Amino acid sequence: MLEIKNLHARIEEDGTEVLRGVDLTVPTGEVHAIMGPNGSGKSTLSYVLAGRDGYEVTEGSVTWNGVDLLELEPDERAAAGVFLAFQYPMEIPGVATMTFLRAAMNAQRKARGEEELKTPEFMKIVKAAAEKLKVRPELLKRPLNVGFSGGEKKRMEILQMSLLEPGLCILDETDSGLDIDALRIVAEGVNMLRGPARSMIVITHYQRLLNYIVPDRVHVLSKGRIVRSGGKELAEELEQSGYRDFGEEAA
Amino acid sequence: MTVAVTKTEAERALKSQFEAKFDALPGNEWVRGLRREAFAEFDREGLPTRRNEPFKYTDLRALIREVAEFSETGNMPVSETDLYDVLGVDLDELDAYRIVIIDGRFNRELSHFDRAAGLEVMPLQEVLDAPPDWFRAEFGKVNPPPGSNPVLALNTAFMTDGAVIRVAEKAVIDKPVHLISVTGSTQKIAIAHRNFVTVGAGAKITLLETYAYRRMPFAQRNAATEMIVGDGAEVHHLKYQNEGVDALHLSTWMTRIGARAKYNAFQFALGGGLARSQIYARFAGEGAQADISGAMMQFGRQHCDLTMLVDHAVPHCTSRELFKAVLDDEARGIFQGKILVRPHAQKTDAKEMARALLLSPRAEFDAKPELEIYADDVACGHGATSGEIDENMLFYLRSRGIPEDLAKTMLITAFIDEAIDLIEDEAIREAFKKISCGWLGCR
Ligand SMILES: Nc1ncnc2c1ncn2[C@@H]1O[C@H](COP(=O)(O)OP(=O)(O)OP(=O)(O)O)[C@@H](O)[C@H]1O
Ligand SMILES: [Mg+2]
Repeated sequence: MLEIKNLHARIEEDGTEVLRGVDLTVPTGEVHAIMGPNGSGKSTLSYVLAGRDGYEVTEGSVTWNGVDLLELEPDERAAAGVFLAFQYPMEIPGVATMTFLRAAMNAQRKARGEEELKTPEFMKIVKAAAEKLKVRPELLKRPLNVGFSGGEKKRMEILQMSLLEPGLCILDETDSGLDIDALRIVAEGVNMLRGPARSMIVITHYQRLLNYIVPDRVHVLSKGRIVRSGGKELAEELEQSGYRDFGEEAA
Repeated sequence: MTVAVTKTEAERALKSQFEAKFDALPGNEWVRGLRREAFAEFDREGLPTRRNEPFKYTDLRALIREVAEFSETGNMPVSETDLYDVLGVDLDELDAYRIVIIDGRFNRELSHFDRAAGLEVMPLQEVLDAPPDWFRAEFGKVNPPPGSNPVLALNTAFMTDGAVIRVAEKAVIDKPVHLISVTGSTQKIAIAHRNFVTVGAGAKITLLETYAYRRMPFAQRNAATEMIVGDGAEVHHLKYQNEGVDALHLSTWMTRIGARAKYNAFQFALGGGLARSQIYARFAGEGAQADISGAMMQFGRQHCDLTMLVDHAVPHCTSRELFKAVLDDEARGIFQGKILVRPHAQKTDAKEMARALLLSPRAEFDAKPELEIYADDVACGHGATSGEIDENMLFYLRSRGIPEDLAKTMLITAFIDEAIDLIEDEAIREAFKKISCGWLGCR
């Protein structure tokens, strides 16, 4: 279970407070959607959960299955099961995708005290996962994300997620940049990971994704706070009315 | 250029040593003339200061405080096993012909090249004593640096030995030639040695020059290689510099590239307390291409200077230069690269880039890429960057569970491999990659 209590965080550089008292509980086995206007702090929340530098938590707590996440380094959080599918995945020139996947999988295995994967086994697992997500084999031969299209990068994120089998999946606008078919494939990939032992936070602007990945709860983040929560119908309602009711200007 | 008013202790030592050793140095009367001329040239200006533009970042007058005794031979022999220790497993196992220079002396016992068809190798010393016409016609004139160059002048004045390598026309040397220069003396010695290489028209060779030490890390070396790349020849010319951390390494490459030839050069610099490497390459025939690149990995208080001049003296030639530097602690890396395009050298295509990755806030990279263009129909470009490890990339890797150290190593490796990947010889390329990994591991 993920428990976020009264989380306040500001940008280290200029002191701007972006998260202003977030309260959110995601029980194990549930999928929660977070929606909200541009700039409301959705990505910031996902970065603070993943442990990115540059944010200062001034108040509040985050625990994952009882572990204080804020105390851990990013790689330790990953080993504890946290996975962030980035809104804008990084291109990493010179690092081969396969080398990266292998380093990530083995690092997490090592952290859990498991044995490293042997080459044939590793290749088999990656190949199978790539086929399911319709990731072209050529992509795996290139440097990580370099020159990938927007949609290809998003698929690569989900491929990583399915290989690493995290306990807490945070998907930051994974749907943006995906074509209609890709959206379905990626959603299927996410749904396959859905299970009683896994929690998910799905950040999105569009109801469409939530037709495929049906959430248990929907939350609205506005100006750094969860201002409303509800069932999946809330997403439909927002699609109709926008964020007017939350003190936000219509775009 | 300035004339030093008072000589430094180092300059005085060089002069008295030159006078004392002159008679014992090899060479006939013509060679003795060259030595005298070279020393006189050196003596006029002395060691270069930073006011001498090519030495702007490497003020040898200030940096060289004392000069060790020029040795005739080191005081300790170097064995086959020593070479293994020097080279490490990856380079020791390289399937190559070997020419070994110990403390500036050609070593026949450790060398083996006899079965290479089309390859002729002689000790420089013997050639200096009785220089044939082809040698006299070219030695010192293959592609000398413009103006006076004190580093090269000292080399000519003091050179004891080295390798003279001739590749016959159209010969394809089936294995790389590994020219290994090792210092093995336990005393602090100074050495000067010189190689002279001619590659016949249409011939093909891979020549790797390794500079390393066996026992004490403080030798003072001045090495030079002159090379003629014949028309249509293909030369892969590499250098691995792994001197001791307190050593002085001065090096000069002078290359003339014939028509339609392909010259691929790569210098990999890890060692030395103070290293200055000069590369002079000149196109002498049309339609040739050169790729002159390199990588340096430096830490502690190392100072590593790479200064290059690519002279497009004729039209229709292509040159590419990519230099990468990884600098840790208080290390200082320097890249000065000038591309000169002479008035008639139309259709020149030349691009150079230097990039540094600073692993510590106290590391320093000075870059001076320069284009000097006198022709109007050319495509030239240059650039230089320096920066730290990208925080966003680092976070991305760490967010997948990769520990910080490993993530950094992956990013540094990716950075340096972009240069190392330009090496065509797979065995040497992989050996260099392993050496770079080793450097990262024990940093
Ligand atoms: N490193 C930073 N420096 C300065 N401002 C920042 C930084 N990171 C975030 N912000 C600001 O914090 C606010 C929240 O940004 P965030 O990216 O979390 O929004 P979001 O809800 O994800 O928006 P979107 O829907 O557009 O993705 C914005 O006003 C943004 O400009
Ligand atoms: Mg966002």
